[in-house]
Amino acid sequence: MQTTVIKPVLSVYTGLFLLFLYGPFVVLGILSFQTGPNGGPQFPIIEWSTYWYQHVFGLTPPSRIAPLPIYEGLARSLTLAFMTMIVSTVLGVMSAQAFRTKFKGSDAVFYLIVLGMMVPGVLVGLGLALVANIVGIDRTWWGTAFVLHVVYTFPFAFLVMLAIFNRFDSSVEEAAWSLGVSPIKTFRKVTFPLIFPGVLSAMLFAFTLSYDEFSRTLFASGRDLTLPLAIYGTFSIEIHPNIFAFGVLTTLFSFSLLAVYAVLMTASLRRAKRVAIQEDA
Amino acid sequence: MTTASQSPDSINKFAVTPHVKSSKASYWLIAPGVIWMTLFLIVPLGMMVYVSFWTQTTFKIEPVLTTKSWEAFFSSDTYLSALWTTIRIWLLVLLSTFVVGYPTALFVGLFIKNKTLSTALLVLCVIPFWTSFLIRVLAWRPMLGKEGAINIILQAFHITREPIEALLFTELSVIIGMTQIYCVFMVGPIAFMLGRIDPNVIEAARDLGASFSRIFRTIILPLSMPGVVVGAIFVSVMVLGEFATAAALSGRKVNMLGNIIVTQVGSLKWAFAAVVGVILTILMGLVVAGFLRIVDLKREL
Repeated sequence: MQTTVIKPVLSVYTGLFLLFLYGPFVVLGILSFQTGPNGGPQFPIIEWSTYWYQHVFGLTPPSRIAPLPIYEGLARSLTLAFMTMIVSTVLGVMSAQAFRTKFKGSDAVFYLIVLGMMVPGVLVGLGLALVANIVGIDRTWWGTAFVLHVVYTFPFAFLVMLAIFNRFDSSVEEAAWSLGVSPIKTFRKVTFPLIFPGVLSAMLFAFTLSYDEFSRTLFASGRDLTLPLAIYGTFSIEIHPNIFAFGVLTTLFSFSLLAVYAVLMTASLRRAKRVAIQEDA
Repeated sequence: MTTASQSPDSINKFAVTPHVKSSKASYWLIAPGVIWMTLFLIVPLGMMVYVSFWTQTTFKIEPVLTTKSWEAFFSSDTYLSALWTTIRIWLLVLLSTFVVGYPTALFVGLFIKNKTLSTALLVLCVIPFWTSFLIRVLAWRPMLGKEGAINIILQAFHITREPIEALLFTELSVIIGMTQIYCVFMVGPIAFMLGRIDPNVIEAARDLGASFSRIFRTIILPLSMPGVVVGAIFVSVMVLGEFATAAALSGRKVNMLGNIIVTQVGSLKWAFAAVVGVILTILMGLVVAGFLRIVDLKREL
């Protein structure tokens, strides 16, 4: 059969495809261990060292290569991502909860929300910068950039919660209502614990998307730079392996976020299972 | 309509009152989100259209309506060539993400029968998205440079004698970088649609003696079209709105419409930036509408 040829060919191709996806990171990772301060951002590796990692943390003696201006940016980015995460998750849960009952204009509202993740950052960024300019508001990372981050991440939180509510068995809520429990208490005691895994995912989405957001922030934040903006600023001048070392470190940070999420997720699923078993008994 | 409940359970008889309440509550629950999106998404986009007709003085804009900025755009070679560059890069990246991504999607979606394995492969494709976007762009610099990894490998295997300098800081490097960054958005939707093909259909065609290329042309490709269209819409919207990859991998030599907007805002030419923004929006609208005409997504998905 022909498929006996096609399948191995495609599997080799998929391997090459993954190499294409990962190759640049592998090279970046290797070059981050270049010797310093004279080793450049290219092959060959003159000598293996962790010089550039120390350079990122400011542990090396001063040299002609300026340290990366990342620390203030990091603090701002983390604060911004946290604010964005809270607001867009709350908005996402509320909106998805509203969508559980059909209401007039729900289609239009759906498209309005999803538009936020589809419109490119350069357009909303420009639009909001124009509005701020005309109204006379200063552009700041915690103001104008923050509202745009929510415009971007709220749709993701909304879609995650919509998917969760789709599989949600509403008879438990109805049981609570018919027993005379108030809707707010029902939400707190019955609904929220059941949708909590979804809430965690929505939070993860919002946090990471905001933490890494670049194009909206470029237009909407003022003089104080967030982390991606600070990194972008170093692109135009000559690059050094310290930025590769930073790339490795920031990737590790992202993975540790993912690990925290996985731990919280398993814990909440396990708790849900335990509760279910207790109820069965 | 407003009192419709979502499940026809007998329990709903008891739940009628909360449902009536909750449909009113829906408006209160949805209001903050709608207000937020209107104020910070619709108003800014509307303002962009409005400001594109304002009068631009050296550092300021005045609300005196004029079409001067529009005329300036269409009479300037620089800006028209940026429009053309944007369209060219978009088409090339769209084509390359499709060509590069489709075989992988075919393998993951159709040839891998084991669900766990195919999920694992898709996760493997998504992991790079876990690193910063800018780092993903930057990672191509040591790959493509004159002393970069690709040139070293090519010379080591004696494929080329001299390093290829055209790999970095050209339009080619922009296209390579964008292909890597965006092809996963093509692979995902296509693999999803391929995974939904009933294996019996392919089996039946094969039993009737159809060759693989015939099966591919008449069954696999048409059934995966909705996935291709969704992927193409994702890639198109993202590539058309690009500027960072173009700037970082071309050494600011390749200017897309996004790059023009960035420079115009930088020099406070607000009205002009707004014109470019509106043109970009129209371009995207046309592209998305065009794709949606090819496949009726509502029916197919």
